[in-house]
Amino acid sequence: MKALDITVKLGNRTILHGVDFAAKPSRVTAIVGPNGSGKTTLLRAMTGEIAHSGRVLLNGQDTAKLKPWELAAIRAVQPQSTTIAFPFTVLEIVRLGLSSGLSAGESDLPLRALEAVDLGGFAGRYYQDLSGGEQQRVQLARVLTQVWEPVVDGSPRWLILDEPVASLDIGHQFTVMDLARRYAGAGGGVVAVMHDLNLTAMFADHVVLMQSGRIAAQGTPAEVLTDRTLAEVYGCPVPVNTTPPGGIPFLLPQARAVPVPA
Amino acid sequence: MMGFISNLTRGVSLAFLAGSLAAAAPAERIVSVGGSVTEIVYALGEGHRLVARDSTSSYPPQAEALPNVGYARALSPEGVLSVDPDLIIASSGAGPLETLEVLKQANVAYSEVPEVYSADGVIQKIETIAEALGAGDKARALLDGIKHDLKAAQKDAAQRAGDTPVRVLFILSTQGGRIMAGGRDTAADGIIRMAGGINAVDSFDGYKPMTDEAVSATAPDVILAMDRGGDHGVAMEQLASLPALIPTPAAQNGRLVRMDGLSLLGFGPRTPETIQTLSRAFYEGHSK
Amino acid sequence: MSLAADTHQGSADPARGGSTGAPVDRRHQARRLTLVLAALLLVTSVTSLTFGAAGTSVWSALGDLVAGRELSQLDRIILFDIRLPRLCLGILVGAALAVSGVVMQGLFRNPLADPGIVGVSAGAGLAAITAIVLGSLLPAALRDTLGTGLVPVAAFFGGWGSTLILYRTATRGGQTSVATMLLAGIALGALAGALSGILVYMADDNQLRDLTFWGMGSLAGATWTKVLAALPVIGLALCAAPFLARGLNGLALGEAAAGHIGIPVQRVKNISIMAVAGATGAAVAVSGGIGFIGIVVPHLLRLSTGPDHHPLLPNAALLGATLLLAADMIARVIIAPAELPIGIVTAVLGAPVFLWILLKRRAGLGL
Repeated sequence: MKALDITVKLGNRTILHGVDFAAKPSRVTAIVGPNGSGKTTLLRAMTGEIAHSGRVLLNGQDTAKLKPWELAAIRAVQPQSTTIAFPFTVLEIVRLGLSSGLSAGESDLPLRALEAVDLGGFAGRYYQDLSGGEQQRVQLARVLTQVWEPVVDGSPRWLILDEPVASLDIGHQFTVMDLARRYAGAGGGVVAVMHDLNLTAMFADHVVLMQSGRIAAQGTPAEVLTDRTLAEVYGCPVPVNTTPPGGIPFLLPQARAVPVPA
Repeated sequence: MMGFISNLTRGVSLAFLAGSLAAAAPAERIVSVGGSVTEIVYALGEGHRLVARDSTSSYPPQAEALPNVGYARALSPEGVLSVDPDLIIASSGAGPLETLEVLKQANVAYSEVPEVYSADGVIQKIETIAEALGAGDKARALLDGIKHDLKAAQKDAAQRAGDTPVRVLFILSTQGGRIMAGGRDTAADGIIRMAGGINAVDSFDGYKPMTDEAVSATAPDVILAMDRGGDHGVAMEQLASLPALIPTPAAQNGRLVRMDGLSLLGFGPRTPETIQTLSRAFYEGHSK
Repeated sequence: MSLAADTHQGSADPARGGSTGAPVDRRHQARRLTLVLAALLLVTSVTSLTFGAAGTSVWSALGDLVAGRELSQLDRIILFDIRLPRLCLGILVGAALAVSGVVMQGLFRNPLADPGIVGVSAGAGLAAITAIVLGSLLPAALRDTLGTGLVPVAAFFGGWGSTLILYRTATRGGQTSVATMLLAGIALGALAGALSGILVYMADDNQLRDLTFWGMGSLAGATWTKVLAALPVIGLALCAAPFLARGLNGLALGEAAAGHIGIPVQRVKNISIMAVAGATGAAVAVSGGIGFIGIVVPHLLRLSTGPDHHPLLPNAALLGATLLLAADMIARVIIAPAELPIGIVTAVLGAPVFLWILLKRRAGLGL
């Protein structure tokens, strides 16, 4: 997935200044940065939600020239949050992912997708009654249903996720990020706007750090997440690989692999 | 069913010739539409042949016992046909056109009675209805009587008016604070003139709402209104309090004449009597 | 794999003994409902041919036909020229109003939207009043050709005209903003109301009565001409329904997300608006102002089988037709031989039902 020279203007303000972005399949690419750096704007520009100048290429094709259903067959977008005006059930929302694409024929996909996001048994619940985190996972299930197979006819399919773990508890953050990893591992492409730097470090293959509408740094997590870079971009000290002073407890998701002492 | 469409394009106006349709055999199941039409049927002694009437037919009292087919301008075809009529006598203006079309298709004889607001109009109405009923002889007697009474009433009225006819304002309703007055070419205008008065409103035709200033400018000596209850029944106190009427001579002298709507505006058999009553009210002291 | 630790309670649905939420797949229920509604419509249709102010019954007529006897002329007229066109018109109008309600609520993502929200009712009403009050100003030849069709034709084009104005106002660069349309609709409605007011002020007594009756709606003027005129327009609009179902479902996620799952959002909007303008415009043109069907029917159905538009649209057509036929039966029998305007019946029945729905089931409506 490539985005070339993306510029987004809102009124008089320029939000993105000629950004060049690239993400490869079989990798998890994370877009991080402080508030207002333009991460979500970049994502929205690349998915065609907002007007922009520049080109976006997906699997070599110019997205501007593709019809909505052609795009929907290649990539699925999970929004940050969604309110629904009518009392749809969880299953009905997830089944909306089937509306297009090659998965249209299979009818047990929605249930499998719900299992994958740890919402098995929620199929009959009303979407509007769920907590924010549960609703986010329902949206992820819908998105998965849309592009269930990571690779189709040799072409990778893409998961585009806008803050997929923002409202989730730590256990479900793992569930979702593991899912993303598996998808990438099977050949699909994953592009996610992330808030949480630790999870980014754990799961991303490629990190794009944004600042004020431009890319400040990109590379592997180790390359991008350095003391100096982070302090510069976030405007405050963000020491990496450092244990905190004093007796304050710290919890690193990265440590989950360590067996718990009996 | 298909010929129906060509009927429509030919124009409904062709379907109804002014005048009457003589029934081959005397019709025994008649629907009368229009207050004065019903009244005249009874006056001709043929009321026993009626099987239904419309909502404005309030006189004579026996008429109200008949089934009511609804408002004259909003008749329902099945409703009218449900009383199994063989003749419909309706004042012009009955409708809607779709209903009349279906009735015509059902081969129910239809006689349209014109509304002309004059003494001749009354005569013409009675003649039309009598012919539709096939009651020509009975009509003779009634017609002679009415012609005589009408002439006498108008003569008396002219006498009472003398050189100073009163200016009369007819108010149809004051709903919503808006005065709906009777202009030219209305039943109100006709009866006022026959009773020796002058219609204070001569700037438009029909019953229309008037601005308050225009109402005051007409400077009526007498206000004429219907006495029917509901929003058409207007009490003097209410009227006198309306800003448009306060400056008028009529309100200042408390001169309001009220009369039952059908006898006042119906232009039927009671018209000679109405003319007498009105002209007395206009010219011989006050009447409330 | 354990479930999430959330113990958040879903809405306890009393009809299902306190379990949390709907049965897992409502589609089967919805399909069953379609069959039930179709049967109900059939029964209601036959009933409407059986009863009326006149004693004619379709059963005795069938009996006559079977026995080889000729129908009396009265029976023939009542069945074929009064009740049957009325039945057909009632089905068309009821279906049109209900489906338009569903489409508008889906498009605006608002359960309070009614079919008139795209401006079609305001325009149709204004055009009808204009035709009634100023119709005499038309050249006589035109008036004669149109005959009884003057007011319906005016209303139909008036509805289209106002929808077009709203559409143009709300559409920039090929994109229609439903929010703008809503607001512009309010403004247009106010303008139409003002112009109507002027015309009402100018109207004489007879015209006032005529336009009052028009506003209350009636199927009494049903003729085969009207049925044949309304059928293609309403039929076409109803045929657009399956395409719209997918689009309206997706729109529930928001316009951006709908686009992402492959729905051509602007095309859905265009077709929705055109379908509603056509269907509602035709319905209002041939039967005057009939309210409540467009709002109540979608709600009743969503409460029973959910907001999925695939079964909702056909079910709405069936239920709308059935309810309108039932209301019409009441209208023409209750004060026979006179007749109530049908808008009164739908309001008198519809308003309390609507209030009851709101009071009892607020959660289930998404309000």
